[in-house]
Amino acid sequence: MVNGEHERIEELLAGYALLALSGEDAIEADRLLSEHVPSCPMCRDTLAGFQSVAGELALAPSPVAPPELMLPRLRRQLEHVSGRRRRATLVAAAAGVIALVTLSGLSMSLASRASKAEHAKVQLSDFVGTLQQPGASSVSLTSMDRSSPGMVEVSGPGFERMYIVGRDVPEPAPGHAYQLWLGSGGTFVPVGDMFLPEDGLVYIRLTFDPRPYDEILITEEAIGSRMSAPSRDGHVWHASLTGAA
Amino acid sequence: MHEEDRLDLELHRRLGSGDRAAFEDLYRRYAPPAYALALRVTGQDALAQEVVHDSFLALWRTPEAYDAARGPFRTFFLSLVHHRAVDAVRREERLRKRAERASNLEPRTGEDVADEIVEDAYLVERRREIREALQTLPPDQRRVVELAYFGGYTQARIAEELGIPVGTVKTRTLAAMRKLRRALYRED
Ligand SMILES: [Zn+2]
Repeated sequence: MVNGEHERIEELLAGYALLALSGEDAIEADRLLSEHVPSCPMCRDTLAGFQSVAGELALAPSPVAPPELMLPRLRRQLEHVSGRRRRATLVAAAAGVIALVTLSGLSMSLASRASKAEHAKVQLSDFVGTLQQPGASSVSLTSMDRSSPGMVEVSGPGFERMYIVGRDVPEPAPGHAYQLWLGSGGTFVPVGDMFLPEDGLVYIRLTFDPRPYDEILITEEAIGSRMSAPSRDGHVWHASLTGAA
Repeated sequence: MHEEDRLDLELHRRLGSGDRAAFEDLYRRYAPPAYALALRVTGQDALAQEVVHDSFLALWRTPEAYDAARGPFRTFFLSLVHHRAVDAVRREERLRKRAERASNLEPRTGEDVADEIVEDAYLVERRREIREALQTLPPDQRRVVELAYFGGYTQARIAEELGIPVGTVKTRTLAAMRKLRRALYRED
């Protein structure tokens, strides 16, 4: 590989280390990282160097004490997530659940640094892999107004994850987004960030055990509104979880 | 290896056997810089809290994600926090266009008053070196690095923001990263 080309690769690696690539550049970087960098000592060294710099930059802001409640909340959760050593005990506090939620697929995950298409592939195999596990069960979320297609929820006993997948999901009204709720005995708590379908697709992965809950609801809520109870104004999907676990 | 890095390594090793005291030691050490970073990137308390909380939980769940051969624990963990913060802010961006984002790039007033936080001298010293290295960059170069790293902006977005070609953003970024690398890892 000639020098001019290495200069270009270095440019990509610098942007990559700062998580600043998008579009063609991100795809190109992914290709380089799998095809060229592993076998090129010069690029390996450059990448490692730039990633160290990025790691160091993290220290630049002056330290700020996190809220005092954070550590106690973490302590409570350590009990429940002793790694893979003790799997999937119940998550007790709703507040804890919210923080554990990860929403992926709606924005490109930076974790994989993969192109959109590749990322979708990873999600799909993750999802299908879960479906194939013994004990996995799926529940259909039905549209309350019956005009929208349903979504499906997959979980199983002992799983730490629950998935919600939908396609041809309509765009919410302007200024609105979708919100997931988990219900127990008729009381609902909002879970995770609001989300929007991407090209009609919804893919949500929740990392916790859904067993304490008996209902799932997805509603359309005004962005920035203070949500105390699910709104029934827009599209609503619903599923009962009893008997699913 | 620096003495403090060695201590981190030992604490990290103990995480592998589910040692909660080791976890709390690492929390005490890294929660303040992690929270400061997440705040700087997201500009929102709630989002920053979620990022830091999730990062520590991820550390507890999968301590083996850190490979000591690839550098100090500190840069690994704070990179993880950075990743999650950028992820969170981009996710948020899709929901809510934040016109006032740019103001978050400047340190929030009060952020520099690090009250009640007693940090290891080593971290304080390293922070000074990093800031110094940033300060020595030409302003044009520093700007693109800060927008990317602390603003969570893509290079395409930075080009738009500054009204310059993406190629220029790339050139400045590379020049800046090379200088920072030399400044932070000079042989001495
Ligand atoms: Zn190379």
